[in-house]
Amino acid sequence: MARQILLGPQSPLPNLRQAVDSLDFDGPIVVITAGWQDSEGEIDELREDIGRPVEDLMLYQRTEEVFAAEPELGESQRERQDKLRELQRLYRMRLSPTLSAARRLMLTEGDPDLLLLEQRAAIAQLRALDRHHLRHIMVLHRDFDRRRASLQIPLAIAQREAVHRLVEKAGLVLIAGGHVAVLLNRMRLFRLGELLTHKPVIAWSAGAMAMSDRIVLFHQKAPQGKSDAEVLDAGLGIVRQRVFLPNARTRLDFHNRTRLALFSRRFAPARCCTLDNGSMITLEDNQVLQASRTSVLTGTGRKKALEPR
Amino acid sequence: MNLRIENLFRNGVPDAAAVDDFFSKNRFPLVEPGQVTFVYRGQADEVHLRRWISGFNTSLPMQKLEGVDLWALAMELPGGSRFEYKFEVVRSGNRSLVLDPLNEVQAQDPFGANSVCQGFGYKRPDWTLHDPEARSGTLSGLQIDSKAFEGRRDVHVYLPARFRKSRRYPLLVVHDGPDYLRYADLKTVLDNLIHRLEIPAMVVALTQSPDRLVEYTGDPRHARFIGEELVPELAGKFPLVNDRSARGLMGASLGGVATLHAASQYPDMFGQLLLQSGSFAFSDLGHHQKGPVFDPVVRFVNKYRKSPFALAEKIYLSCGIYESLIYENRSLVPLLQNQGMQVNFEEARDAHNWENWRDRLRNGLTWLFPGPLWMVYE
Repeated sequence: MARQILLGPQSPLPNLRQAVDSLDFDGPIVVITAGWQDSEGEIDELREDIGRPVEDLMLYQRTEEVFAAEPELGESQRERQDKLRELQRLYRMRLSPTLSAARRLMLTEGDPDLLLLEQRAAIAQLRALDRHHLRHIMVLHRDFDRRRASLQIPLAIAQREAVHRLVEKAGLVLIAGGHVAVLLNRMRLFRLGELLTHKPVIAWSAGAMAMSDRIVLFHQKAPQGKSDAEVLDAGLGIVRQRVFLPNARTRLDFHNRTRLALFSRRFAPARCCTLDNGSMITLEDNQVLQASRTSVLTGTGRKKALEPR
Repeated sequence: MNLRIENLFRNGVPDAAAVDDFFSKNRFPLVEPGQVTFVYRGQADEVHLRRWISGFNTSLPMQKLEGVDLWALAMELPGGSRFEYKFEVVRSGNRSLVLDPLNEVQAQDPFGANSVCQGFGYKRPDWTLHDPEARSGTLSGLQIDSKAFEGRRDVHVYLPARFRKSRRYPLLVVHDGPDYLRYADLKTVLDNLIHRLEIPAMVVALTQSPDRLVEYTGDPRHARFIGEELVPELAGKFPLVNDRSARGLMGASLGGVATLHAASQYPDMFGQLLLQSGSFAFSDLGHHQKGPVFDPVVRFVNKYRKSPFALAEKIYLSCGIYESLIYENRSLVPLLQNQGMQVNFEEARDAHNWENWRDRLRNGLTWLFPGPLWMVYE
């Protein structure tokens, strides 16, 4: 099992070089910047930062070329994305009242024994809803995969094989942050999950989220619109039982312990790990070997330093 | 009277040392839940509090405290309120307006500075303060030879950090732009909101009129300048999203009138309008009493109120409840909504000033131009 290092945002002070220097690897470095969408491949700063040659796998651009040349695949992809968006909308309709009820139960006073049972039941409902949502998402992914298998898509296959060759030759794979859904989608289209399991990987922000087995969208201090954390998708699952929370300092309301406690308990037994600028978590075989400037949320709504184990 | 002042006089007239001690231990004005007490120290025949608040007596006499050169005035003030003021000091028949020497919180505007009274619980929003983690955008100058105005116009252009010519950006045009930069910290706000992904990276054009009392009052030359000169020039020079919903226009006070007027002349151009304390004077009965400067404003607003139509997709309006314009702004809301536009109206416990407009920028900009923060984790 290869080693993974997960980082927070690389601004204002990047710690990517420190992470790269800490790994023992043999071979070239490749990077996935598909989450940057139109800015994919603009990696001069990154190269300068780590002081080594890096090649971008250009998953976003390759995908655009494939969809243009093989429209049936593009159409299947659009259908899946439309369904995923619709599913997310329906999930939110159930999520909002379920979360609201759980929050009220966390805040109300009453007979402690009765209250505890009701709180547990409310959190169980939330977990069941999240599980149901994830299962439904996976059904849509499987439908897409079946449909893709029936298509004549030589360019898509050639591009995938080219990317796989680059990854196989690489000694280290970097996964940058950005738009988490786009990033995950492109990595899934190129079927990188299994391949990356055997490679040293350094991923930051959205890249770290995509490494996990569950991606949770969150922002407790957004000025407008959504603020209920929601499950977006399963990630690549290379790291398991962890929910990564990039830029937590800005996005989480650490003054609201009830809300944080509910967040933590909802996703348990997965551990909710903050990833701020300067954070670094080193894992191997899903065990934390080293952790610095990162915390886990506790069931009482506090945060405590993540300890290696 | 404030309890701390009552305590000062508990044992009779305090001596100079006790007064000095009182001043060294308190911050002024004395703010507590629901109330504020102003204190002035000095020789005078009279001292008045002059509040820049509309709809109230703006000059309130302060009470001379017995035996000491102290003047005080207590008044109600709801939590979270904010207003600007000066002291009017009368000595030997001479009146002078002075800043509160005990209050270091001041606000600047094009006319100078005022002392600021911050009610209990008011806190300057953190997104208006420099964030060292936020990448800084750049400001540059642009000159436009305007046929509408028969002369050159200077425009400042804000480009977001990490600006790329290969990308396309939304456009926001700001009336009184340099004043927004100077008095409402607009650049800091843009840098911070973009950094936090609360708004998308955008190009912002900052215009300034040399004669806003004419050009911002419904002047067709100004609308032509915005619609036929400025926006096309910007579109030619910068990579902009060519879509109405990605173009915004904003302004405060008469700048709000200029915004609404330009949008009414070019209704297909701007999807998003941000109007702050707009001077939307109108007259349903008889002639207005606001003076000749407002004649063209009233003509324009009356005309629009008589025959309203959709001139944008979304409009964010804000107004202070301590300014007379609250009436005009409130009455505009249903009129705009009835044309099928999305309208977000916000009232603030503040008055007609730049810090009020600064404090509302986040709500306005993030509603009109929602950023990618839900999906993007950089």
